[in-house]
Amino acid sequence: MLRASLRGLLDRKLRLTLAVIAIVLGVGFFSGALVLSDSLGARFKAMFASVSTNVAVQVTARTDPAQPSQKPPSMTQAELDRVAAVDGVGAVSPDVTSAFVVPYDTQTGKPLPGGGPPQLGIGIGAEGDPMGVLSLAEGRWPTGAGEVALSRHTAAQAHAAVGRQVKVFLPRLQRPQMFTVVGVAAYAGGRDSLGGETVVLLPMAQAQEAFYGRTGLYDGVSLTADAGVSDEALRDRVSAVLPATFEAKTGKQSSADQAAAVSDSISGLTKWVLTPFAGVALLVGIFLIFNTFNVLVTQRARELAMMRALGASRGQVTWSVLVEALIVGVVGGTLGLGLGALIGGGGSWVLGNLGDAKLPGSGITVGLDTVVYSYAIGILVTVVAALLPALRASRVPPLAAMREIAVTDRPLRLRAAVGVVVGLGAAALIVLGLRAQDDGLSMVAAGCGVAFLAAIVLGPLVTRPVGRAVGLLVGWGVAGSLGVRNAIRNPRRTAVTASALMIGVMLVTAASVVATSFKESVVRALDTTLRAELTAAIGFQQPDGRIGISSAAVARIRQLPEVQEVVAMHLAVAPRLNGETAASIGVGAIDNVPGAQRTMGMKRVSGEVRALNAGELVADENTAKARNWKLGDTVRIALPGAERPYRLVGTVEASPLWANFLVVPMPAVADFAGPLIPQAMIDVRDGADVAATQAKVEEILVDFPSVTVEDKSSTTRQVTQVVDIAVLIITVLLSLAMVIALLGILNTLLLSIIERTRELGMLRAIGLGRGAVVRMIGTEAVLMSAFGGLLGVGVGLGIGVALAKALVYQDAITGVWVPWWQLVAAVVVAAVAGVFAAIVPAVRAARLNVLRAIAYE
Amino acid sequence: METTGIAARAEGLWKRYGSGEAQVTALAGVDVALRSAEFTAVMGPSGSGKSTLMHCLAGLDTVSAGEVFIGSTRVTGLRDAGLTALRRDQIGFVFQQFNLMPTLSAQENILLPLTIAGRKPDMAWFDTIVDTLGLRDRLSHKPTELSGGQQQRVACARALAGRPAVVFADEPTGNLDSRSGAEVLRFLREAVDAHRQTIVMVTHDAGAASYADRVVFLKDGQIISELAAPTADAVHDQLKSLETSGDGR
Repeated sequence: MLRASLRGLLDRKLRLTLAVIAIVLGVGFFSGALVLSDSLGARFKAMFASVSTNVAVQVTARTDPAQPSQKPPSMTQAELDRVAAVDGVGAVSPDVTSAFVVPYDTQTGKPLPGGGPPQLGIGIGAEGDPMGVLSLAEGRWPTGAGEVALSRHTAAQAHAAVGRQVKVFLPRLQRPQMFTVVGVAAYAGGRDSLGGETVVLLPMAQAQEAFYGRTGLYDGVSLTADAGVSDEALRDRVSAVLPATFEAKTGKQSSADQAAAVSDSISGLTKWVLTPFAGVALLVGIFLIFNTFNVLVTQRARELAMMRALGASRGQVTWSVLVEALIVGVVGGTLGLGLGALIGGGGSWVLGNLGDAKLPGSGITVGLDTVVYSYAIGILVTVVAALLPALRASRVPPLAAMREIAVTDRPLRLRAAVGVVVGLGAAALIVLGLRAQDDGLSMVAAGCGVAFLAAIVLGPLVTRPVGRAVGLLVGWGVAGSLGVRNAIRNPRRTAVTASALMIGVMLVTAASVVATSFKESVVRALDTTLRAELTAAIGFQQPDGRIGISSAAVARIRQLPEVQEVVAMHLAVAPRLNGETAASIGVGAIDNVPGAQRTMGMKRVSGEVRALNAGELVADENTAKARNWKLGDTVRIALPGAERPYRLVGTVEASPLWANFLVVPMPAVADFAGPLIPQAMIDVRDGADVAATQAKVEEILVDFPSVTVEDKSSTTRQVTQVVDIAVLIITVLLSLAMVIALLGILNTLLLSIIERTRELGMLRAIGLGRGAVVRMIGTEAVLMSAFGGLLGVGVGLGIGVALAKALVYQDAITGVWVPWWQLVAAVVVAAVAGVFAAIVPAVRAARLNVLRAIAYE
Repeated sequence: METTGIAARAEGLWKRYGSGEAQVTALAGVDVALRSAEFTAVMGPSGSGKSTLMHCLAGLDTVSAGEVFIGSTRVTGLRDAGLTALRRDQIGFVFQQFNLMPTLSAQENILLPLTIAGRKPDMAWFDTIVDTLGLRDRLSHKPTELSGGQQQRVACARALAGRPAVVFADEPTGNLDSRSGAEVLRFLREAVDAHRQTIVMVTHDAGAASYADRVVFLKDGQIISELAAPTADAVHDQLKSLETSGDGR
């Protein structure tokens, strides 16, 4: 039996090729994400290892994984001295480091752009780096006030050299300072940078003053071990004298941990992007494989019946089909793993060499888990998809070997009943979800999932009517009408083929309805509620106060005669509320609450909304309602600096501008990660020239790294651009699903042509020309793809509108907008794509040897 | 060239398959003329080349040497488009396996060649065929809803619907029970007698051949003999003698 199915597989390998492609793409995306993460991880590991070659033990502040934004504690001089005194400690390299220490380009006078690799300030002793990571390339180490050394990469970026003056932004001081460059340093091995970071080296004491506000504080310390003392032994000895807030790790462990943290954060994003699309590709692949095996089983009915007649059991027949599926899965998994290695390796190369980040090492790292997952997924998906066809194969009666048994389709009545029930279930979930308003989003989402299932079940039922209707448009002439009839003669097969296309179109449609609604809502909200003409804000960086505008600069803007009002917002991200992490909630302090009420659409709903006193809190109404907070309730908010109780004194109306937001009093800014203002709204006095005012504001803010001033239209454009890019990415990635679906159409057509060889031969014999055959197959393909497109747009529209409605109830958006032309375009693109899927099958059909096709025996 | 009264003819027709050692000669210099309004049966043992002869005459297969004419059209030398038009406009086919389009009703199947050609059907002729074949109440049925005999009658009607110059029937009764077979043969006979159609039928059934005006016997790719106004017994005897002469070689 096994030999028989292996032989069968070889004979049919061409027909199965397309099924394999679907698996290859799905597995490729999935393993690509894993390989990318592993490869990038390996390169970061190499980078961090090169830093800690000589480090035996590294002492760092303990971080609470539940609270990543927590401000780390510092180590005192006394604590450092205790560590240095431990028996077996060799060299001691105290760690004084700050991020967002931004050098300025000496040629343009502008801060070097941020948002990429870190911009570091590091304190260094007069003798340089005891660990030997950095060594002087030119000049000397900085020793006095106003002196710095730069890493070679930094010097190149800032166009600075020994003896020149360089401006450096110091976040704690909220302003830049001038320094004299006294040295240029390079990394061990002659590297200019480790990963594209900039490094400004200050004398130890000056660094402490600049970063912490006083001397005698440290972030941690790196140690070497005396001869004969192992890293582990030293670690244990050091641990014993450390305060509870610090921990000691061996150098190896520490560099591995750092590498993992960095590569996780970078590849996490790509993983979250790639994995869902792998899922969609595999889902589409299931349809394709199901269809392929179903057709193969139909075609082989006689052969299977013969096996049964020869004494094969039902189980053996089922098994023979499943073995085929298994092999397809293994082949698909193998090739998919190869594709994944290419995707992951390529991605790692691109990310590793992005901009100035020239990570050490190269190559592709494929972990054992990646291999296991790839095969598991490839095999599982194929076997699951082939299960029903395999069971159907076992039901072929032995009698079918003796004579032609007409394959009668089971009536669609049961399917109709099931489909209607599932459809009603979906409708009920969505309606109830929308009724529930505030808490209904998850219910609506579940309803949308069920609606998708209902569409799959009901697909074959609407194939005929929809097919005929579309046929009126595309089924011209005798060839066209034959094509239309071919497309609807087997509704199940057509519907399954079209369903594969439906998935992609549906997701794109739903996403674009939600995105368009979001975009329109925000644009309208900005238009109607935002009275501030100018916005000064940092770009796409963590708005946590470590980068932004100083309060002094805001005060200077306020004094401009053209400026009516300025609202400055200090922000903190990912706070903990009453002990729970709340990643989606933002916390901000507003220096001018009445101004926010006048110019930013901040509207009181209950309680008092005014300049807050210490310990007071204002929340948007939805957040308060969702968490069951009443006026007067106390909420414990943990910010990077401290956890404190706040009393809810008022709520504001939820809107796209005021969603998931808590307003805390200005004194709370001391607990934020930094004192800088990530965002300030500027209301220009009526009659004043906005562009001229913008120029004046820009002049004031020129020294603040990463800060840009935008007028209202460019603020709006930024929002719409983000949404447009998101939709574009979704569309591009889902086009992959559509390509797989088109392969499915191609596959179905090829298999149908083989099935209908005799019929095609007859048509050619009685005078149907080659061109007409091509048109016939083309019409069939277009009908299937247009059907899939229509189904996808229909279901996607329903899902998108339901989700958008649910979001309206959450006040995340204010209304539902449907991008009609995009939806029409989706159907047209799907239909046209069908033409491409038809090319190969149509040419094959046209080249058919008439004589062989009609010959019998 | 004198073609009056000749619906189709072949001159010095050779057909070889394969090359070198493996070469098989299916037709070895066949000359044959098929007269208009005549029912010709082609017979011969398996491998005698009778199907090949029909395929070459009908423009379905290429020839190695010789010429084929349908009416005044030289078939040999036509390219695919020409052959397609020829088959569409001048030739009707009836196959052993009924070969109907399962998606079309009986009526649509019958009119399919005309639809393909974009010709307006002659409804009087259509009615005549349908009534003669007793298909009137089956016209809206799909092939799967028809019996084998009915399907073959639909195929016959399709072959005749365009009043082709020649109808080629390849074992038309091969898949039918004797009663249905007789019905089909009677109809073909009537099409010749009453409507002056030209029919060429390949068969190995002496009973079927007895419906023809003339039987052409083929052996080893050559025409061995002819029989006019055949009876089933006479055809049988002729076949017997063919086989016997074969034993002598």
